[in-house]
Parts: sequence; C-alpha cells; structure tokens
Amino acid sequence: MVAIEDIRARAKELLESGKVRSVLGYRRGTASVLAEPAFVTAPEDTAALVLDATCVENLALYLVNEKKRQKTQRSQDTRPLAVVAKGCDGRAITVLLQENYIKRDEVVILGVSCENGGMIDTHKLSRALRGKAATGAAFDGNGGIKVAFTAGETTVPAAEVLAARCLECTKAYPLVSDYFFGDKIDERSYSPRFTAVSAIAEKSPEERSAFWAGHFERCIRCYACRAVCPMCYCDECVVDSTSFIVNPTTSADEKACRIRWIQRSASPSENAMYHMVRAIHLAGRCTDCGECERVCPVNIPLRLLNTMLEREALEMFEYAPGLDPEQPSLISSFRDGDPNDFIR
Amino acid sequence: MNKVPEAVETRNDKNEVQDFEPKVVAFLCKWCSSAGSDLAGVSRLQYPPNAVPIQVMCSGSVSPMYIMSAFNKGADGVLVSGCHPGDCHYLKGNFYARRRIYLVQKLLKFIGLEPERFRMSWVSAAEGVKYAEVVTDFVKDLKALGPQRKLKAKV
Amino acid sequence: MEMILKKDRLGEWAAKLRGSAEVFAPVFADDSWNFCKVEPGAELTFDHGNTVRPAKGFVFPQREVLYRFRQESGEAPQLTPTLPADGPAVVFGVRPCDGRAMVRNDKVFTCGFADPYYQARRDRVVFVGLACNAPPSPNCFCLSVGGSPHAGDGLDVLMTELDGRYHVKALTAKGKEIAGIAEALFDKAGAADSSEVEKVHAAARSHPQRSIAAMEKVAEGLKRNFDSPQWDTLAQACIGCGACTYLCPSCHCFDINDEVSSHSPLAGERVRTWDNCQFPEFTMHTSGHNPRNTTGARLRQRICHKLLYFVENHNIQQCTGCGRCISHCPVGIDIVRVANVMEEAAGQ
Repeated sequence: MVAIEDIRARAKELLESGKVRSVLGYRRGTASVLAEPAFVTAPEDTAALVLDATCVENLALYLVNEKKRQKTQRSQDTRPLAVVAKGCDGRAITVLLQENYIKRDEVVILGVSCENGGMIDTHKLSRALRGKAATGAAFDGNGGIKVAFTAGETTVPAAEVLAARCLECTKAYPLVSDYFFGDKIDERSYSPRFTAVSAIAEKSPEERSAFWAGHFERCIRCYACRAVCPMCYCDECVVDSTSFIVNPTTSADEKACRIRWIQRSASPSENAMYHMVRAIHLAGRCTDCGECERVCPVNIPLRLLNTMLEREALEMFEYAPGLDPEQPSLISSFRDGDPNDFIR
Repeated sequence: MNKVPEAVETRNDKNEVQDFEPKVVAFLCKWCSSAGSDLAGVSRLQYPPNAVPIQVMCSGSVSPMYIMSAFNKGADGVLVSGCHPGDCHYLKGNFYARRRIYLVQKLLKFIGLEPERFRMSWVSAAEGVKYAEVVTDFVKDLKALGPQRKLKAKV
Repeated sequence: MEMILKKDRLGEWAAKLRGSAEVFAPVFADDSWNFCKVEPGAELTFDHGNTVRPAKGFVFPQREVLYRFRQESGEAPQLTPTLPADGPAVVFGVRPCDGRAMVRNDKVFTCGFADPYYQARRDRVVFVGLACNAPPSPNCFCLSVGGSPHAGDGLDVLMTELDGRYHVKALTAKGKEIAGIAEALFDKAGAADSSEVEKVHAAARSHPQRSIAAMEKVAEGLKRNFDSPQWDTLAQACIGCGACTYLCPSCHCFDINDEVSSHSPLAGERVRTWDNCQFPEFTMHTSGHNPRNTTGARLRQRICHKLLYFVENHNIQQCTGCGRCISHCPVGIDIVRVANVMEEAAGQ
C-alpha cells in the first residue's frame, strides 16, 4: 500500500534539510475532479500532498519547464527538484536523463507504485456521466470507482473509467528512483499492452483513413498536446518557424519563400502533418503517460499514434523507452538485424 | 469548414483532361543513388521522367519532414534511395535511415495512406539499370493508384 | 413576444427551420457536448450542461480565408475577396454566458470598424438561448461578473425550461422571425406561465455558484499588483496549452498568414486564424525579444484583459463566467481563485 503519510514525511524531510529546492507533487485542486500539480517549497505545505486515482498529470513536464524557467530567472538555486513519479512518469524522467536534458543529480525521484489500478480517464468519466462534471472520484475498494457529481453520486466499474494506458500497463512503477513507496506491481489483469492500437491497426486502410481524417478535421491546433508532453522540449518547434533570421537586407522574396513546413491554419491536411511530425519525433521516446490525449480539447485519440510506433519499436527493434538512463535512443542506434525486406 | 470538391479526373493547367502522370519525389544519396541515376541517364536508358530527383548527402540525412512535406505538397509517390548496407559513404548513415524510414512507413500506413506510395531502395553508383527499373515500377504502380489526396494540402 | 412550446414539439420546430437554415444544437459525441448540425429525425434534448466549445465559432471561425491572390509574372496581382457565403444558421441551447460574450465580441468586431467577415456571419446566425435553471457547471460564476442564468443579451430568443414545456421569448427581429416560421406549434403564454418563469429564474439566481467577491476590488488589485511575484506562483503549473483562450466565448485574438500554394504563378490565400496569448511566441518580436516570456506574464495578461483592461475600455466585464477555462485547464489554473487572490491583494 502506498502510504501518503510516508511521501509527505519524506518530502518534508527533503525540504527541511535543504537537500532540494522544491517538491513537485499533487494536491487537491479547485477547478475539477483532478488533483493539480503542487510546487511545495515550505515544509509545512507537504501536508497537502495527495496521491490517488485523480493524480493524472505527468510531473516530469515540470522538470523541463523549471529548467527553461531557470534560464530566464536570475536566481541560480542549483539544488535538485524532488518529483513524485508514477511508472509512466518515471520512464519519462529516465528518457530525459538518457537524452541528457537533465542530469541525474538534478532530480530526486520519489517513485510511487500505482497499486490500486491506475488513474481515471476524464473522457471516459465524461462518457459515463454523459457530459456532467464530476466533483470527486475514488476507488471503492471493491473493483469500482465511486464518482460524485453535482446532482449526486454513482459507482462505476473501474475498467470503465480507468485510463486505457493504465489498463494496458505492464510496469506500474518507476524503475529508477531515489525513494520508493508501495509494492512493485508488474502487470494488471485488465488487458494486454497495445490493445487499443491493435484495434485501429486491424481496420481496413479506408476505415483508418476515414477515422483519422475525421479526427484531424476537429483539431484546432491549440498545441496543448505538445505543451503538455515532457518530450517536446525543443525551444523552437518545427511547426512554428519563428526564428527565421531577418535582417535589413533580407529581400521580400526571401521572406515570402522561407521554409514553412506546416501552415499555421487548422485545415485537415496541415493538422495531419502536425500530428504525424510530432508522432515521429516521439518514436522511441514516448512513455505513454496519456497526457496528450487527456488535454486535447476536441478529444482526438492521440495516444494511438504514439503507441503504434511504440509497438513497432518493441516488436521490430526490441526497444522500450525509459527503462535505463544509459540506453541509446531508438533512432540513433541500429542493429544488423533491422528489417530490410521493405527495401528494394 | 470549406470542403473542396474531389476532382473526378485530372486536368492540366489549361483545364484539359489528361492521363494521370504521377509526380514522384526521389531523395537520392549523393554518393550512390544519385550517381546511379546519373549512370542511367548517361547510358541512355529509357524510363519514365516522373521522378524529381533531390540529392541529399546521405540517406541517413533524410528527415521524415522531407517525406511528409513531399506528400503534403502533392507528391503522388516518394522514393528514398541510398547506398547498400555496409557501403555507406559515411559508414552508418544508411543503417539509421533503414530504421527511421521503417517507422515513417508504418506511420503513413497507420494514418491511412496507401503503403505503396512510399518506397525505399538501395541503389549503388553502378546500378543505373536498377534505378531505371525502380522508377519504372514505381510509376506503373502509382498510375494504378491515382492521384494522392489523403495528405495533399487542399488550398 | 412570449409563447409556450410543448417539449415534444421542439423537434418539429427544428424540422420547420431546416427548410431555410442549418440547425445546430448541443450533441454528445466523442465524449463531450458540442454544437453540431442536427440531422433530420434526430432527437433534440437539452441535457448538455454547457458545450465544450463556445458559440463564438459560428461568427468567428478557427480558420477563415480573407481573400485569394494570384499574380502572373509581370502583371498586377488579382485579389478575389472571399466573404462568407454560408446560409442562415439557427443554434439551439446557447447559454446566457455565451450570449453575453457575443455582445463583447460585437463590440470588438463591429464598433468603430465593422469587420465584414464577422458581420456577414453574425447577420446570418440566430442564437436560441436556454436559461440555466441550475448552474450547468460546478465552475459557473456568471452572477459575479454582472450576468445571470437567464440574461438575454446577445441572444435572439430565450427559452426557459418549465414543467413539460418551454417558455419561449423572442428578443430580436431575427428571433421573432424564426418563431413566426412555426407559429402553429406555439401556444400563447398566460399569466400562470409567466409567474412560473419568474419563480424558475429567481430560483436559478439563488442557486449557489462560485463567486468572486467584489469586481471593482479585483480590478484595483490587478492594477496594483502588476509586478507582483504572485503571478509566477499562480502560473507555475501553466503549460501554455491555450485551452483557456480557445474555449473562452469572448477571447478573440487572431493571426493572419499568407498561405502560398504556388510560386509561378504566385497564388495563395490570406488566412485568418485564432491566435492565443498563452502561446509562448505570442509576443515574440522579430528581434528575438519576447516581453511576455514567462507563464506568469502571460497569465497576468489574460486575467487583466478580461477583468481590467476591457472594463477600462468598454465599461463592462469581458468575462461572462461560463467557467470553461477552469473546467478544461489541464492543470487546474482557476480564474476565480486568481481573482480572489488579487482582490485580497487590492488593499496592499
């Protein structure tokens, strides 16, 4: 059992001893049923830390954001950040370590096990409540999730409301951590890995084309998926093309003809380009935290794109991201046995 | 949402109906495949002129963006061609290409693009004949598939 | 013009309207409620709380072509205007907060300079509002910003759900027209109906909502605390996704880009798209300097625009209290909480 008091105590100790400059965890929010990210600097505020089925955010994102923030701020507090990390979050941190975006001594990982069964999926919750807003959600200890909403409360079978990635999870705890809370649970008995993406892959090409065309048509290019992804840390994204160097001698023709890979406006072809570019840049790096799908305001099933490539990486190249900070990245490594039959 | 009506037949700039001629964008590595295509030319081999060659230093330098952008701008088919494994001028570039292009191919297929529109080949500087064959077969297959509409920007 | 429509006749009204307009209503699809075209024969019910995407999309679309251009070499460029030519649309189920936001958008797009693209769409769309008998969302706060669960501003018709029937009040000429199309379906509203509406509206107003204590003090607090480090703390979790802005019924910033499809001859479109002050590059200069390069600065901008600058410029709150930015923020940033923090800081 993950005892939240243990996490709070450890966080308090780390802050009191001055070992870390801040603890990133979860606390109850005012905005929705979900917990919100907490940036705790005062030891007494650790009492507000929580850990339950609503702690869906991937806090690895804030390691990236804090690092970027440090560049613009004057104070150079170089102490590490402590971060509460579930399995998928911990793998994301490992990828950041592997890519040298952060150094091992810049982070103190408070690994937690998702013993109860995982995190709720807000879209599935919305589906179960037919669009009504939930105000609370918790495991009832009996294979169900008790959901409270403004007009009352109801209990839903856990599998109906838990995130698909949690149902398919094969390692519900981080492999790399400084402190660990809970028991190491490997597999859950819900469904095999890649169930969701297999369903789409098995459709006919025409069905798949229509499926994705329908979704990309709705995309409003808010870039929430990119903003929430810890792996999308490029200072300038290829979609934005803002730092084209313009000086007094740049001709109008040059300015007009600069490379613009993807148009700004949200039309289906440009949206498809954006999502494909993002997916391929995440190949071998995405650890399926599911945040991209959660934050999408128009409910595009983005996870499918990333897990499809994750499945290929595993089946074809025996590569799984985020297991070991020393492993090479998928695309900057190769084996002699890599598939060759598709090449003439 | 503005919906552009699908063209039933292809028309040229003068709005005349014509046989569909697929546009192929071919990324050819400088040291092998581009030289191979030159050899095909110098040998006066006859093959369809539909492929626009773009010379890259190495097949390993072909970014997935080039491929997707080619489809976005209207290419009916995209070819990436490099040195044979073991013969890369930069020793390992084509091994990286092999892995990366495999993933791009899977992604394009997953989105619903016909997989036959995107190909990769190993063509050495001495294989002018092979290059001509690769392009000939590609153009033939693309003619059967028709114009690429799934990823093309609709303006 | 006040009428009564029996609930089971709502579908017939929509069917009559479909003869001359596209009919939209909240539909539950892909796990959320949004305005979608109502197919013939589809049931029309109003159990939607509020839609995720606001009604502003009908007058201010995400992507809009302003004109097309084409230039043969050596000749003058040809510009082809592309004013919207969509037919009339009727949108059911619009909440008063979205209607009031429309009034704010009208101020921006039609006062001073009348934006022809906005105006063309605004003229063609009819908003049929639905009063909120209970707050549609746990994050509603319309009362705090001068609104109400049964306000009619910006709407053409206001419907109120009563027992077994709707009270229907036409508020504008467009509203009268669409009610007139189906005159036979309506009954005249009597004194008993009117008093039930009064009761329902009064009950709706007294329903608890989230609240911001004193808006003038909030404005004062915002002015005084421009440089406060509080903003960085409040925005620490912000990921710059822009959901708050895109889903806000009164946010209206836009970008304009030329999308060139061919270079010879030069041809393309000038396209207007939504822009977002929460995007990091929103205020990026060509020199590379970015005056708002922190999430704190960008959050401050949005809150001040809504609760201070718009008030100073137009004398009304720009925020209409729909609560979407709160409900859909992935990390729980909460305008009500921020406003209350600023209100407390007003005295300092």
